[in-house]
Amino acid sequence: MPDQDPSKTAPPTGLPAWMGGARPATVMAAVPGRRRKDSAVQKTIEGIAAALKTSVFSEKIASRPGLLQKMDPRAKAVSLLGLLVAAALVRQPLILLGLYAVTTAAAGASRISLKFFLKRVWLFIPVFAGLIVLPSIFNVVKAGDPLLTIWNFGHEVRLGPWSLGTSIAITKQGLTGAAILVLRVAVSVSLAVLLALTTRWSDLLKALRVLFVPRVFILILSMTYRYIFLLLDLAAEMFTARRSRMVGPSSPREDRHFAAASIGTLLGKSHALSEEVYAAMVSRGYDGEPLSLRRFHMRGPDWLLALAAAAAAAAAIGADRLLG
Amino acid sequence: MTANAFEVKSVSYHYEDAAGLDGVSLTVAAGEKVALLGANGSGKSTMLKILDGLILPNEGTVAAFGEKLTEETLNDEGFSKAFRRRVGFVFQNPEAQLFSSSVWEEIAFGPLHLGLEHDEIITRVEDTMHILGINHLKDRPPYHLSGGEKKKVALASVLAINPEVLLLDEPSAGLDPKTEDFLIHLISDLNRAGKTVITATQDLGIVPQIASRAIVLGEDHRLSGAGPAGEVLGDEELLRLANLVHYHAHEHDGLRHYHPHSHVEEHDHH
Amino acid sequence: MHIPDGYISPQTAGGLWALMVPVWYAAGNRIKRTLKARQAPLVAIGAAFTFIVMMFNVPVPGGTSGHAVGGTLVAVVLGPWAAVISVSVALVIQAFFFGDGGILAIGANCFNMAFALPVAGYYVYRLAAAGSPLSSFRRWAGAGFGAFAGINISAFLTATEIGIQPGLFHTANGTALYSPYGLSQTIPAMMLVHLTVIGFIEFAVTALAVAYLQRGHLELLGARATAAGGSRLKPLLVGLLLALIFVPLGLIASATAWGEWSPDQIRQRFGFVPRGMSRFAGLWQGIIPHYGAGGGFWSSTSGYFLSGAIGLAAALGLAFLVVKLIRRADRHA
Repeated sequence: MPDQDPSKTAPPTGLPAWMGGARPATVMAAVPGRRRKDSAVQKTIEGIAAALKTSVFSEKIASRPGLLQKMDPRAKAVSLLGLLVAAALVRQPLILLGLYAVTTAAAGASRISLKFFLKRVWLFIPVFAGLIVLPSIFNVVKAGDPLLTIWNFGHEVRLGPWSLGTSIAITKQGLTGAAILVLRVAVSVSLAVLLALTTRWSDLLKALRVLFVPRVFILILSMTYRYIFLLLDLAAEMFTARRSRMVGPSSPREDRHFAAASIGTLLGKSHALSEEVYAAMVSRGYDGEPLSLRRFHMRGPDWLLALAAAAAAAAAIGADRLLG
Repeated sequence: MTANAFEVKSVSYHYEDAAGLDGVSLTVAAGEKVALLGANGSGKSTMLKILDGLILPNEGTVAAFGEKLTEETLNDEGFSKAFRRRVGFVFQNPEAQLFSSSVWEEIAFGPLHLGLEHDEIITRVEDTMHILGINHLKDRPPYHLSGGEKKKVALASVLAINPEVLLLDEPSAGLDPKTEDFLIHLISDLNRAGKTVITATQDLGIVPQIASRAIVLGEDHRLSGAGPAGEVLGDEELLRLANLVHYHAHEHDGLRHYHPHSHVEEHDHH
Repeated sequence: MHIPDGYISPQTAGGLWALMVPVWYAAGNRIKRTLKARQAPLVAIGAAFTFIVMMFNVPVPGGTSGHAVGGTLVAVVLGPWAAVISVSVALVIQAFFFGDGGILAIGANCFNMAFALPVAGYYVYRLAAAGSPLSSFRRWAGAGFGAFAGINISAFLTATEIGIQPGLFHTANGTALYSPYGLSQTIPAMMLVHLTVIGFIEFAVTALAVAYLQRGHLELLGARATAAGGSRLKPLLVGLLLALIFVPLGLIASATAWGEWSPDQIRQRFGFVPRGMSRFAGLWQGIIPHYGAGGGFWSSTSGYFLSGAIGLAAALGLAFLVVKLIRRADRHA
C-alpha cells in the first residue's frame, strides 16, 4: 500500500497515531543543497579503519614463507636496532642509499611485492619529510653556497620585517641536507615496516623480552593492541548511529558536543571493559605477575642474520667515516 | 555422601546505585548440572561472579568445596591458585575474556598462570584446540574472529585449565544454531565426564539439555523458585513472574486471545 | 608531534631514552603499588584510548604533525603515573606498527608526550580542582587548562629537540645532518599552531569529556581524587621542571662529549646562526624588545631558546591566572 495518507490508516493497537502507515513521498525526496558532507572526524575514523585493515592484511605477509618470516623474532629485532643505529649515524647520502637498497632486497627476499613495500614505506612519512624539508634548500630560509640561482634581484629585497637577500637560490648544503634527511627517514621507516610486516605481533612482543622490556609492559602492550580494535569499533558504531539519526547538516556546536560525548562515552565504556577484563584474567589465575612461554629457538640462520646485520651496520659506519 | 561444590547462604550484593542480589541461598552438589534462570538484571551474572570469588557478597557467606570464600582466603596464594584451578568461568562477553594477542596465547594464559609445566601447557593447548575444532585459528588475533569462534576460544581458554566446575554466562547468546548445538552437546558431555556445570541463561530452549535442576532469580533479585528443570519449565506462573515468559495478545475476528511465549531468541548483551 | 627517526641525532635520541628509562621504572613501580594487579587492564585500555585520540592527525608546517593526545584526560582518570605508561605504550605501538614516530626516537616522543604532557596537565588540573566537589566546574575547566598547558609544553620540547639539531650536527660546510631547521624556525612553527589551534582542540576534548563524565560517570573522576595527593605529585613535578631546564643544556653538553669537534668549535658553531634564520628574527621583535637587533645574545641559538621559553612561560602564566580566577569565582559563587 504505497503512498497512503498515514492519518487514514489506523496504526496497530498501542502505537501512537503518528507512528502508523507509510510516509508521504515528499519527505523522502532529496532536498537540494542539503546533502550532508561527512565530517573530518568521520573521515578520519574511516581512514583508521582502512589503515588497520592493511595491518591485518600484513599478518598475511607474516605467514608467507619468506626469508625474514622464517627468522627468530629476537634475531630480527636486534638486527633492526643495529641497522637503525647505523642509519642514524652515517652522514653520506650514498651510504644511506646503500642501506636502503639492502632493506628493499630483504623485502624482496621476504616475498613482499615491491609496489606494496614502496607504497607502505614512502606514503606519508618520507614524503611528508620531503615536503617539510623543501623550504630549507633555498637560501632564503637557510644560508649556503648557491648551486642554482632561480631569481636575481640585484639588490636586497625586504618583505616587511624580513629580508629576502639579493637572490633566491637553491643551495648545495640545503639540497644535500634534504637528501640526507629524506633518505635517513626512508631507511628508518623501511626497517621498521620490514619488521612489522614479516613478524606476527604476538611474536614481536616476545622478542621485546630480549631487549630487557619488563613482562608487565609487554602484557600491557599486547592488551592495548588488542583493545584498540574494540574501541575503534565502538567509536565507529557511535558515528554510524549518529549518521543514521541525522537529517540535515550538523552545526559545529553539535559536532563538538557529539565529539565530547563520544570521547566521554568511550572512556566510560573503556573503564567498564577494563573491569571485566580484569575479572576474566583473575579468574584464570592472574595475580599481577605476568608470565610468558618461550616458544622460540635461535637456530643457525637466526645467528647468521644477526651477524649479517651487525656486519652491515659496521660496514656502513666504517665506509661512511672512510668517505667523509 | 556427595560433597557440595557450592553453598551460598543468604547472600546479598549491592552495586553503587542498584541491588544485585538480595538474600539468596542455594546449594550446588558436585557433578550437578544446574541452570540459573532470570531476566535481564535479575542478578545471574552477579551470582556467577560471587561463585567465582571475583566479587565478595556484602552480606551472607559463600563456600566452595567446603571452604569459605573471603578476602583472606582469596588473597592466600596457595588457596587462590587451587581454587582457580578448580573453577572456570566463561564470561558472557568474549571481548572481555579474549585479551591476548593470539588464540594460542589466549588458551595458554590460564594453564601458564596457574603454574603448569611447560610441556603440559603445550599438550593442553593443542588438545583443547582439537576438541573445539579451532586448530586453524591458533595464530589468529582474537579481534579477527567471528562471534561463534570467539565463544569457542573463550570456552577453550577455560577448558585448558581443566576445572571441576564450569560457570557459563549466557553460552548460547548470539550464536548460530549449529555452533549453539555443538556447544550444548559439549557442555553435556563435560557434565557426563564428571564436571559440575552451572549455566546462567534466559534462553529456556536450551535448559533441558544443559540442566537437570533449575534455579530462578526474580526481578526483585531474590530467589523465586528452584527444582528439577522439567518442573520449573512447566511452572508458567513462576516463569511469568520472573519475566522469563510473557503473554502475547493476538486478535482473531475481534476476539482477544492470549498464550505464553518465551524469550527464546532474546539475549542481553551487558 | 611525533618525531620520526632521522629528524634528530642518535645522541639526542639516546639522551632522551636515558631520561625516560628511570621515569618508566618509577611509574611502573608506582602503578604496581597503587593499581595492583588491576594495572595491566586499566593502563592498557587507557593506552588504547589515547592511541585512538592521537590518530586524528593534523600536519604542521615546519614541524612534524599535530594532534590531540588525551594524555591529560587519562591522567585525570587514571592518575599521572598510569598516564605516563598508557601514553608510552600507545606511542610504542604507533612506532612499531604504523611507523608513526621513530623507534630510536621513542625515548624523545615519550619524554615529550607521555611524560611532560600528562604530568604538567595533571598538575594544573590539581591546582584548579583541589578541594572542589567532583561535579564542580573547576574540574572540567582545570582539566581543560591542564590539557592546554600540557600539550604546549610537549610541543615546546619537541620543537627544542628538533631545533637544536642543525646547530649541533652538521658537516664542515654547514650541511645539516638531521632536521635542518633551527630553534628560530621550529619554535615559532610548533608553538604558533599549538598555542592557537591544537592547544584548543586538546582543551575542548579534555574539558568536554570531563564535563561529560561529571554528568554520567562521576565515579571515574573520583577514583583518583584520594589516591594521588598533592605531596606525592611533588617529586614528579620537580623532576619534570629539572628535566625541562636541564634537557636542552644536557643535550648541548652531550654533544661536546661526542667529541668530533673541539669544544671551541662547538661553541663557535652553536653560537652560529645561519643568515637565513636571523631573517626571521623580525617576527619576534614585537615580543621581546631588542630581540635580534645587533646580534649578540638574542640572535644566538640560546637566545632563541630562551625567547621561546619566555613565550611558553607567558602562555602558561596566563593559563595559571585563569585557573586562579576560576578558583576565586568559585569561592565567591
